[in-house]
Amino acid sequence: MSDVLRLEKIDDFRWRIPMDYKPGMRVPGVIYADERLLRDIREDKALEQVANVAFLPGIVNASLAMPDIHWGYGFPIGGVAVTDPAKGGVISPAGVGFDINCGVRMLRTDLAYEDIKHKLKDLVYALFSGIPSGVGSKGDIRVGLKEEEEILVKGARWAVEKGFGTQDDLDCTEENGAMQGADPAAVSSRAYQRGRAQSGTLGSGNHFLEIQVIDKLYDLKICDALNLNQGQITLMIHSGSRGLGYQVCEDYTRSMVQCLKKYDINIPDRQLACAPVNSDEGMAYLSAMKCAANYAWANRQCLMHLTRNIFEKVLNSSWQKMGMSLIYDVAHNIAKIERHIVDGENRELCVHRKGATRAIPAGHLDLPQKYMGIGQPVIIPGDMGRNSYLLAADESAEETFFSCCHGAGRLKSRSVASRTINADTLLKELESQGIIVKASGQSTIAEEAPQAYKDVNDVVKVVHSARIARRVCRMRPLGVIKG
Amino acid sequence: MTIKYEIIDHTADIGLKIIGSDLKELFENSGLSLFQISSRKQFTKDKKHISVVIKQKSENIEELFINWLNELLSLSAARELIFHHIKVNKINETGLEAICQGSSINNYKVNIEIKAATYHNLSIKNNEKGWEARVILDV
Repeated sequence: MSDVLRLEKIDDFRWRIPMDYKPGMRVPGVIYADERLLRDIREDKALEQVANVAFLPGIVNASLAMPDIHWGYGFPIGGVAVTDPAKGGVISPAGVGFDINCGVRMLRTDLAYEDIKHKLKDLVYALFSGIPSGVGSKGDIRVGLKEEEEILVKGARWAVEKGFGTQDDLDCTEENGAMQGADPAAVSSRAYQRGRAQSGTLGSGNHFLEIQVIDKLYDLKICDALNLNQGQITLMIHSGSRGLGYQVCEDYTRSMVQCLKKYDINIPDRQLACAPVNSDEGMAYLSAMKCAANYAWANRQCLMHLTRNIFEKVLNSSWQKMGMSLIYDVAHNIAKIERHIVDGENRELCVHRKGATRAIPAGHLDLPQKYMGIGQPVIIPGDMGRNSYLLAADESAEETFFSCCHGAGRLKSRSVASRTINADTLLKELESQGIIVKASGQSTIAEEAPQAYKDVNDVVKVVHSARIARRVCRMRPLGVIKG
Repeated sequence: MTIKYEIIDHTADIGLKIIGSDLKELFENSGLSLFQISSRKQFTKDKKHISVVIKQKSENIEELFINWLNELLSLSAARELIFHHIKVNKINETGLEAICQGSSINNYKVNIEIKAATYHNLSIKNNEKGWEARVILDV
């Protein structure tokens, strides 16, 4: 299908799917990419999905796609869709995904590569054994039903109150680590059951914990403000809401499939099932989704706490002395009610970010005071062999409703990667580049190979050039723990 | 037990094509394929076999199919079971009743976490040879 799609070039980094591509599209599609990335994007059905999302009732301006876009199941991964509840705008669980508030956090340290190079293996092995990972993994943090409900409301604050972090961590987390309006009663007992004992666990697939080193500085002013230097050790943690989030998405997709008839909604893919934001079904989903999002923030807070403890043990120092503070934590699978200016009017909108990161610029009221002058840190993990980036929201982010890409984006399917990449050879290659990898499943190594992903450098070049978010610094991996 | 399915390529997720001589077999094979692609029996730490009855009602066959697969995934995760034997006792295009037998997840090496089955590009067809379904799983 995509090869017959005629894309209109807006500029070197923006392309349009015209509204007449499919009858029923309410807005055009806009893809942020350069010609090189576009060639890969055209290989699968992601552009069709961008067009399908443009059918959603109440969608505002355009169905947006970031340069890491790839084929998902309903929404493309790397998609942003904004709807206006006052004009019948809908909310769709598929615009968030099964792993609600899958996201990433980045920590800085005062450690230099030289300080840890002889301890790197010890750190990777200690992190691998100390942090539960893999399919259905369970953690040591066990709570009863009452406390689980508390996690769903308080999010990362629950973990901080338990002693697993500080107020500063919450200040540096999107939504301060908890969305308001989470209603535990909107979460099914099956979801509780499915998520039980998974707090403080990494999960599987593309979830990871990485020890990285800064290898390039771009924006010296922001690097200074964040106290970041070349050769400095940083950490990234990528995880989500685990089984609880999957079940919330499933429960509400099931109910919203019924809403299509009830609200007379015509969409080309039933997986885009949705309901008006202001309907009972829409509000119930939003309340449950917030619970799962809060659970994910608590989870990443617990994971960071475990990481700090392990660094303390291996390096025989306190995390405070090692300067292991949180730079920021961002969600990249989420729907949020936000205020944006559209056609000169300040409107309350529902922003779906499916594989996309919020990126609010300097001066925005939702920023913590310390980032008011530099804009929100935007964290872009790459693959385990190349680079990851720290960006800061830029002036043109307004056109994407303050949204940016979320990673490199997959290029090859898991099955093709498994068939064509030998895990042992890959591990040796990575080791020769100074990268130590430990994974729960051998199949994960081949599936998550660098060749299976786009080059994050190309992806970031687009958002930087389109002035959505500017490059601050680049990291390369040293130690990788995969689920 | 060999069941009839094959993996279809999808960039981020996993596609499956499953066949069955009749609707019953299609649903049994589809259910079992979830566990065959994601896990391999490695130990016998827990010898207990647990039977679970699943009943589903839906508006049409597509919804029945997706709800059935998602109920299996959800039950498997919540009860920490891998289902190795599935018998569909009653089925029509809007409802089914099945008995699923599973054993502890601790007996298996699980390589892939299937989050859910999706409606995207879903097809369920009946031809002279029997039934064929194509489904994309979120992993």
